[in-house]
Amino acid sequence: MYVEINGLTFSYRNAKEKTIQDASIAIEKGEIITILGQSGSGKSTILRLIAGLEMPESGTIKINGQIMTDDATFVSPEKRGVGMVFQDYALFPHMTVAANIKFGLKKMNRYERDARLKEVIDLVGLTGFEKRYPYELSGGQQQRVALARAMAPNPSLIMFDEPFSNLDADLQIKIRDELRDILKKAGITSIFVTHDQEDARAIADRVIMMDHGHIMKTGTPDLILT
Amino acid sequence: MKAIRFFRLHLNVWSIMSIIFTLLIISPTLSIFIQIFEKPNENWYHIQEFLLKNYIQNTLVIVFFTGFFSVMIGVSLAWLVTAYRFPLRNFFKWGLILPLAIPPYIGAYTYHGILNYTGVVQATLRNQFDIKANHAYFDIMNIPGAIFIFTIFLYPYVYIITRAYLEQQSASLVENARLLGSGPVQLFFRVIMPISRTAIVGGVSLVVLEVLNDYGVVSYFGIQVFTTAIFQAWFGMSDVASAIKLAGILMAIVFAILFLEKVLRGRKKYSYSNAKVRPLEPISLSREKTAVLFVYTALIFTIGFVIPFVQLFQWMLLTFEKVASEEFLTLIFNSVYVSLIAASLIMVIALVIGNFTRLSDGAWAKAVSRITVLGYSIPGAVIAIGVLTFFLWIDRQLKGVYHAMGIEAPIILSLSIIMLLFAYVSRFLAIGFNPIDSGFDKIGRSFTEASRLLGIPLTRTFFKVDLPMIRGAVFGGFTLAFIEVMKELPLTLLLQPFNFYTLATKAFQYANDERIYEAALASMLIILISGVSIFIFHKVLEKENR
Ligand SMILES: Nc1ncnc2c1ncn2[C@@H]1O[C@H](COP(=O)(O)OP(=O)(O)OP(=O)(O)O)[C@@H](O)[C@H]1O
Ligand SMILES: [Mg+2]
Repeated sequence: MYVEINGLTFSYRNAKEKTIQDASIAIEKGEIITILGQSGSGKSTILRLIAGLEMPESGTIKINGQIMTDDATFVSPEKRGVGMVFQDYALFPHMTVAANIKFGLKKMNRYERDARLKEVIDLVGLTGFEKRYPYELSGGQQQRVALARAMAPNPSLIMFDEPFSNLDADLQIKIRDELRDILKKAGITSIFVTHDQEDARAIADRVIMMDHGHIMKTGTPDLILT
Repeated sequence: MKAIRFFRLHLNVWSIMSIIFTLLIISPTLSIFIQIFEKPNENWYHIQEFLLKNYIQNTLVIVFFTGFFSVMIGVSLAWLVTAYRFPLRNFFKWGLILPLAIPPYIGAYTYHGILNYTGVVQATLRNQFDIKANHAYFDIMNIPGAIFIFTIFLYPYVYIITRAYLEQQSASLVENARLLGSGPVQLFFRVIMPISRTAIVGGVSLVVLEVLNDYGVVSYFGIQVFTTAIFQAWFGMSDVASAIKLAGILMAIVFAILFLEKVLRGRKKYSYSNAKVRPLEPISLSREKTAVLFVYTALIFTIGFVIPFVQLFQWMLLTFEKVASEEFLTLIFNSVYVSLIAASLIMVIALVIGNFTRLSDGAWAKAVSRITVLGYSIPGAVIAIGVLTFFLWIDRQLKGVYHAMGIEAPIILSLSIIMLLFAYVSRFLAIGFNPIDSGFDKIGRSFTEASRLLGIPLTRTFFKVDLPMIRGAVFGGFTLAFIEVMKELPLTLLLQPFNFYTLATKAFQYANDERIYEAALASMLIILISGVSIFIFHKVLEKENR
């Protein structure tokens, strides 16, 4: 398994109940997973735990055979090689599209960086927008910049927190299909969080249902969704 | 096992430096607390038996009446400006803050200069009207005089906070009361005062803390309170032990007031900005009432700003050639130089602590941010005494080290400017910290998290992402801290190295030597830069916070 999560338990500092209880997930390389659940069920929290933005009380997380978290280990987020597209995109407002996308490419030299920029910006179909600032872009374009930025450093795993929630219905469907193509073409393992069943059906190889911090079921969309 | 993991997550440059800074900042205060209980000396028994009661009494009388009158003036002005239309209303709305630009000690000797035998009032009466009035009528160098000075130059604290509250929160309450037939006086005392309680308490506690911090006014007027007693013990008798005990009592009074504020304020915190609330619409009054209202407002503005400003301006012109010398340029240079260094240190430390406290939500991060802002409530003289004993102690330790190493002491910290800078940082850290804290609050954590997930470590993220995004707050905080340091008096007087003066201490020295006219130039400069600070605080930062 490419990503292995075992017995993950976590609660926020001021929470009474456990936010995540004994969650176990296994994901194969190149698989697209969707986490589905109601608001407050702990979907974003799972992503934050995998990314290393929160530290679990117990449980282990392994990515590509390497331990990210267990009782003795905690790999910091910048060393995990995990990409994430935030719900509000979190594009750096003081940087151009190009600077945003090149931000994570610190190990490359200038030419490699420019080449990589061209590659991913082409992939998300934003060629020509390099010099713009985030506020000069539409919501859908911003979303694609966020995607390009997360993909640029070649992450081993990429996660999306409700990526379509800011888009109108037409755009949502278009981007959803595009995104699936892009990810499949690049062979990137990915996790989507959503509470829209249609999203899950369209994009996922496998669906994970969450409720109140528990993982209820997992399986193919046909099996799980009604 | 989990402990190792915990430290790996939480121990980094930011947390370690924050803890070190915090410990440094709190150690002078702690050193006072520890030494309070040391065995008292001869001198202390004398102070305790004959003087202490007097200090406490004077302090309480001044604090009480200044508080009372500041509330009366501040709240009434806030209410009138918000609720009624009258000529120049928009000007006064802003102008009534201006007395705050005149530090009370400058106001004190200016008013003394106006009212004394050679001053403009008595001279005019004598020469124009041939009236020889009794001097005693014009003597303000007493407790009522001090109360007058404090009230007229500090009431804006109450005014500002109360006005902000009334403008934004009171519309429906006031309209209801009017519909129920309350007259204006009844409305003011029965509705406005009670509903503004939290705002008033917030404002008046600032006034009281300023009064307790003051040394300039009381010492110029020759009134015995804690700050003057601390100075006497220290400079007059070189009795550090008694100075510490006095500082300790003063600090206890401050903590009592902070506690009282918490209790009186109630649980509700007043919020300044809330876009959805409907502002209160001012109404028009009859002609006579409008006239009365205008005269009252204009009178306070004139006493609090126009008269002292014009008088200082005239004195400044009178003495300009004499005062504006090379020496004066050195003075300005010194002042700017220490203020720049102090403000830079304050901002660096505020950024380190601010970044630490926002990224960790543990109880210790909360404690750190509490301690960071505490210094601003503690009187300058108390901080100075704490810092002084702390540095004397360090020097003693270092002496042993130097001796063991067989070298001459390269620097004696307690005689150097380092000690002064240290004290400025502990006193004014809050000034730099608050804007940074709210700046970080506004941008949230997601940019930082996004950057780290792109493989950029914490510290690089800070410089590439966080810092550029809050540079407005950094600039604002820096300017405010710079100006506060420049105006500071008691702490600087106690800790300035030999032959080193700032604009504030020089102005005060001139005034103390009965060379009031010559103090005018330095005072004017201080007033001008304070004006800038007020402008920045109320226009720039306020706009940014929207
Ligand atoms: N920073 C926090 N501190 C304390 N509690 C939090 C914090 N963030 C989330 N929670 C709580 O943890 C629980 C799970 O939150 P989470 O954000 O993971 O839900 P979610 O499934 O992503 O919901 P949504 O679909 O609304 O985004 C909720 O009850 C939430 O209130
Ligand atoms: Mg969520």
